[in-house]
Amino acid sequence: MISSDIIRGHLDAIILKLIIEKDRYGYEISKEISERTNNVFEIKEATLYAVFQRLEKKHFIVSYSGQITHGRTRKYYKITALGKEYFDEKLNEWKLTKEIIDTLLEEKK
Amino acid sequence: MEINKRDYRHIIGGEKMITIKDYVEGLFREIPDSQEKENIKNEIILNLEEKVQDLMESGKAEEDAINKSIVEFGDITEIKMNLLAESGSVQTKKVSKVNYANRMWFSIWGAILIIGLFFFINYTTSWYVHPWFVYPTFAVLWWPLATFFSWLNHRQK
Repeated sequence: MISSDIIRGHLDAIILKLIIEKDRYGYEISKEISERTNNVFEIKEATLYAVFQRLEKKHFIVSYSGQITHGRTRKYYKITALGKEYFDEKLNEWKLTKEIIDTLLEEKK
Repeated sequence: MEINKRDYRHIIGGEKMITIKDYVEGLFREIPDSQEKENIKNEIILNLEEKVQDLMESGKAEEDAINKSIVEFGDITEIKMNLLAESGSVQTKKVSKVNYANRMWFSIWGAILIIGLFFFINYTTSWYVHPWFVYPTFAVLWWPLATFFSWLNHRQK
């Protein structure tokens, strides 16, 4: 399992991206991350909820309770305009970073 | 088989299969109660139970599924710190507000009573000779004045 600083530094953006696609709840997000990476990267639940707390406090996401399962409500997260803006900024930043590292690490053409 | 296993456990000390709920309750035991703690606890329990359900559907025994979920759960120090930071700031704010309001009223009523007492003594004894109650009145008025300004200072912070 990979758990590098680079991934950790982009967890907020990764989770925002999944919430931008559609409103999601906690377990769904951790499952989605494992599936999309073929279980190469798995997020720890404890980390996930810390990220939720952080994003909610910064008003990047809001939560609401929805869909009753077995008589209980699930907590769903929804993106805010501010969150979308932050994500776009992070995505651009990442593209630039990737380019720089590619240029510096790969063979000169 | 199942019954034998249970009996055996009972003999070696009654070790019961831990549930997700027990585990999460244990994690948050030392955090002071709040609505936010309750919310995040319920959220974690619900999501973990769903994970256990998923693992069992893919063929794991219940106990294995629970253990795997617990092992993979990770470290909740950050969540706890966030909860503690929040409850801490809310508490100190509340306490100091109540304190300042009380202190302000206490100083005002205290001053009124003391001034009233001097005025009464002065009025019933030597009023036409010398209205000396004015001196203690000015001295005592420093009290609510000082309280008022320390309250202003606190508000600006």
